[in-house]
Amino acid sequence: MKNLEMVTIIVNDRPVTAPVEAHESLLDFLRNKAGAVEVKCGCNQGDCGTCTVLFQGKAAKSCLILALQAQGKEVRTIKGFSGDSLMEQLQESFVRNGAIQCGFCTPGMLISSYAFLQATPQPAREEIRNAISGNLCRCTGYKKIIDAVEEVALKRTGKQQDKQTTPSSFSEGQEEAKGNYLLLGGG
Amino acid sequence: MINCEYLKPVDLQEALKFASQFADRARFAAGCTNILPDIHTGKLRDCVLIDISDLKELTGINREDDFISLGSATTVAELLNSEIIRNEAPVLWEAASRFADPVVRNRATVGGNLAYGSPASDMSVPLLVLDATVLVQSMEKGIREIPLRNFFVGPGKTVLSPSEVILRIKFEPLSDFKFYYTKFGKRNAMAISIASLAVGIKLGKAIEEARIALGALAPIPLRALRTEEFLTGKPVQTEILEKASEILLSEINPISDIRGSKEYRLELTRALFLRAVNNILSLK
Amino acid sequence: MELKVIGKSVPKYDAWGKARGEVIYADDFSMPGMLYGKVFRASLPRAKILSIDTSKAENLPGVHAVITHKDVPKNNLRARFGQGTEIGAQFEGLYRVLAEGEVRYYGEPIALIAAETSEIAEKACELIEVQYEPLPGVFDPLEAMQPGAPQVGEKENNIASHFKIRKGDVEKGFAQADVIVEGFYQVGYQDHAYLELESGVAWVDDDGTIVIRVSSQVIEHFREVAEVLDLPHSRVRYIGTLIGGGFGGKEDITVESYLALLAWKTRRPVKLTYTRKESLLVHSKRHPYYMYYKTGATKDGKITAVHAKLISDAGSYAALSPWVLLYSTVDAVGPYNVENVKVDAYTVMTNTPITSAFRGFGAPQVNLAYESQMNELAKKLGMNPMELRRKNYLKQGDSLATGYVYDRPVPLDLLAQKAWEALGPKRTSSKPQVKIGRGLAVGMCSYGRLTFLHDTSRSYVRLELDGSALIRCGVPDVGGGQGHILAQIVSEELGVPLNLIKIHVTDSQLTPLAGTTTATRQLYMSGNATLKACRELKQRMFRKAAQMLLTNEEDLEVGEGKVYLKSDPTRYIALVPLINRMSADGDELYVEAQFNAPFSDVPAKEIIEGRTFPDFTFGAYAVEVEVDEETGKVELKRVVAAFDVGRALNPILVEGQIEGGAVQGAGYALMEDMVIKDGIIQTPSLQEYLIPTSLDVPDVESILIESGTGLGPYGAKGIGEPPIVGIAPAILNAIDDAVGVRITSLPVTSEKILMELKASKEGNKAA
Repeated sequence: MKNLEMVTIIVNDRPVTAPVEAHESLLDFLRNKAGAVEVKCGCNQGDCGTCTVLFQGKAAKSCLILALQAQGKEVRTIKGFSGDSLMEQLQESFVRNGAIQCGFCTPGMLISSYAFLQATPQPAREEIRNAISGNLCRCTGYKKIIDAVEEVALKRTGKQQDKQTTPSSFSEGQEEAKGNYLLLGGG
Repeated sequence: MINCEYLKPVDLQEALKFASQFADRARFAAGCTNILPDIHTGKLRDCVLIDISDLKELTGINREDDFISLGSATTVAELLNSEIIRNEAPVLWEAASRFADPVVRNRATVGGNLAYGSPASDMSVPLLVLDATVLVQSMEKGIREIPLRNFFVGPGKTVLSPSEVILRIKFEPLSDFKFYYTKFGKRNAMAISIASLAVGIKLGKAIEEARIALGALAPIPLRALRTEEFLTGKPVQTEILEKASEILLSEINPISDIRGSKEYRLELTRALFLRAVNNILSLK
Repeated sequence: MELKVIGKSVPKYDAWGKARGEVIYADDFSMPGMLYGKVFRASLPRAKILSIDTSKAENLPGVHAVITHKDVPKNNLRARFGQGTEIGAQFEGLYRVLAEGEVRYYGEPIALIAAETSEIAEKACELIEVQYEPLPGVFDPLEAMQPGAPQVGEKENNIASHFKIRKGDVEKGFAQADVIVEGFYQVGYQDHAYLELESGVAWVDDDGTIVIRVSSQVIEHFREVAEVLDLPHSRVRYIGTLIGGGFGGKEDITVESYLALLAWKTRRPVKLTYTRKESLLVHSKRHPYYMYYKTGATKDGKITAVHAKLISDAGSYAALSPWVLLYSTVDAVGPYNVENVKVDAYTVMTNTPITSAFRGFGAPQVNLAYESQMNELAKKLGMNPMELRRKNYLKQGDSLATGYVYDRPVPLDLLAQKAWEALGPKRTSSKPQVKIGRGLAVGMCSYGRLTFLHDTSRSYVRLELDGSALIRCGVPDVGGGQGHILAQIVSEELGVPLNLIKIHVTDSQLTPLAGTTTATRQLYMSGNATLKACRELKQRMFRKAAQMLLTNEEDLEVGEGKVYLKSDPTRYIALVPLINRMSADGDELYVEAQFNAPFSDVPAKEIIEGRTFPDFTFGAYAVEVEVDEETGKVELKRVVAAFDVGRALNPILVEGQIEGGAVQGAGYALMEDMVIKDGIIQTPSLQEYLIPTSLDVPDVESILIESGTGLGPYGAKGIGEPPIVGIAPAILNAIDDAVGVRITSLPVTSEKILMELKASKEGNKAA
């Protein structure tokens, strides 16, 4: 039988322990052992960027890291940012700007954008274009993704006011429903 | 079936011991940006992975007297973030900025890129033009210093023995040279070079010294020593440069592959070389 | 009437789940006791199979099933691709589940394995022994057309289909021409390269139904899969997932038959996900074409005749090749009014990977040819290319190449001008070796399926007692907002806020069948079905509200959760009490409506005439490129796209289609190079088959023209596929403008340009 070694990796602040093979990637570990299926697999050899996670605080393609190399280290997936204002702003901006079509590149794209904005709070548009060049997207043509990141950067540096938000969306603004419980009005 | 083992040495000495113990099966693993794809595609099936990614001995970008010294586990992103590299070795910084993509740069290491021995190695070209030296160590051979220009042997082959690890790479920044780096690929990110080229020229009244390094144009990344020699002491004249480009083309031996034909690579080399020299001359 | 929700860039209902990583795509789903499937594939492009020995694989511990063609109840189907009606032999293809007797292409599936882990399944693959007798293959359609060429399919000759257009008299037309241009054009494969690999999980439900949870653009394939297993159609159920990119590549069956066979045999859940290599090697691709064009015009620029000959590579099984060819045939002269047209189109089988549907479906190939011809013609006439086009645009009331009189406005002149003007004043290059060029190209692309397929869609809309609403509609959602837009329609029509609308998409047994998410048809078909359901429900609501508000139905309007009087908006009834009253009175609170596209007859002969499509979308691209004369490198600097979208129901989603289509088309033009040698693809990774990164394309600028003349809801036209038509020839025309080189094949690599430049310089010297 195979040589399995136990590894413990801190995934979204929680230690996950599981046996792995020596050649197993962090991506395999996350998807198959840690249940983190929000980390996508598009090529398994570093060519597409869909498996991008934060590894020790930096964006990394998890298919290019050995699970055993991550022993005791911190990994953050797209589900590990609750309460993080930068990521929440990015998510909201992606949603509103139409930066999400099929959504398969989105988790990796958001993490690359997040890591980039953390390091470069006031980027030029061309720097954003460069920052996401390791993450392929086949649906959007990239423009709306760059728009979304740029808008967050401008907002955070106080250069732009909030855009007029659209009247209703699916997950947000549940209050809007309340007005419906009126009885007969007028005559 | 894949038969891999993984070892995590506590320090360099243990890493060397492991490497010596497993000899031909030993593979030093740091960024793993080549190792994991090779395992995935079945190119690498039987190995002992010795994880050197956390060895402090192999990190750091330092100024040492006249030299700049890089730990072999320095990532490409660390080069880009280094003021030393940006200010004193802009040709290396430029190459780092064109390396793979921003996410891979966070993991890929300079030493790994050299040790992998790809003819298209993007770190080798600027380091060759800087005439870098590679410091390597093994239990069997102790510490050796190898000029980078003698380091590559063939596609995927270097002078390293299986148990030898790259410790550091060092070079003189050559502040009296002007440099130009260019990488030509089929796209602008995540590209394997069709051709890459770095030129350094020390200019007085004539060309005092020239250095030319090329990637993806021969079985190994190489220095164009005959062209360099020809240019030394020559005045900057169109005919001289034309002649130099002829010599340059005779020094390379590109292949035809899915990225480009041999014929195209030769044309491209001439164009990129002349462009590099003209750019350097306009830098004054 | 003012629209309240339609026309607004409201975020898609699925966007938040995707942003938070909560969407469970096909491969993200697992079940207890699940096995892992693997496909064992042929290692030769053409061979006789002498024997298949699976015994070692079967004996490997952890292997639960090994299936070969012998185990498939119906291994060979006459595939009609979801059509219940007769469509004629020239549109049918052989759908063979597993290789039988022979291998037709490299990577053809021979056996299926289900095992405890994917590693064991892989190991089992290595233990299968096949003895082959290699046979000479034919890898090029021109060679395959020659007498005596190896026979690829069941037919004696390799021509899978042949279509013709005979309009007017081309001989007469060319005789009237003052100027004639001729050209050969060639395009290669394009891979969809969606980021989500083909994937699914299947299981046998507790009532004996095979359930397949899969990423597919066509949940109606449950019928084919049932036939493969020789089961009643009602015993196979598709649950469609949100799809991680389709572009036509998930239109044909991918993993479903394999999954069903393995789950049926093992009675365990089975997951099968392709590797990227497998996907690139074996899934369907855009057809390579050889095209010959001859175009004649009078000296004042009126086109008198077009003769086109098209030959496409059908691959080793026909799949949708005849259909794609038919689209090319109909679109062969593009959106131009040409009196004399002769087209001969062939799709020819070879021992190469399957070619089938891909965004544009035969339109991009011919578009490249006819729009290159227009510029060549303009050059020869000494006329501005835009002016030449203007003289020839199809206009309302003109006839298409098939003779069908197009009865809707064609605002191409406006689109071309808008796109061109948006480029602004021409820049000068700062570097002597870098030349700037601009190019224009227009295009047409049908939306809706071929009219002889008698396309229909159904949608179900239900009001809930709390004022919320439910939509059930079997719309595979590839990410373009196919599901979402139905909610916007319901919100508009019934006044239910978007956040109170729940949509169920894609369950072949629980959602009304809405047809394929292909052919740019979902907004048109399912949008109209949903609109129809809403209008009927609204009528019921108004009938009740009129009683309650003591008014007549004509004076009622709905919006913001209430029904109110147009004449006095302060008099209203909120939806909740209205719905409750309707419920109490026994009114039906739901409607399932069906929308039928226009129907025509199946073409009885090779000559294609009359109506073939419900309608077309027209667009124009203006681009600017920089060409480096020393290296041949082309940088795409500006892309402006102007489309008549009829009506933009959600502008940001429409722009998204245009921007994405433009970039996919730019990749097709400049980069995407699927190298194939003797039937074997040499570029089976995304490091070798390159698609554009963010650094390879500029921000696409889209101009939306809303003519309101589409057949979709609110006058919308389809916009999913059309944006991939037009950009490639615009780029070629721009390259010609920059450096005076006419490239006639795709992709335009830097190598091709440099070599052409060199050849033209040498040609000049010689002359």
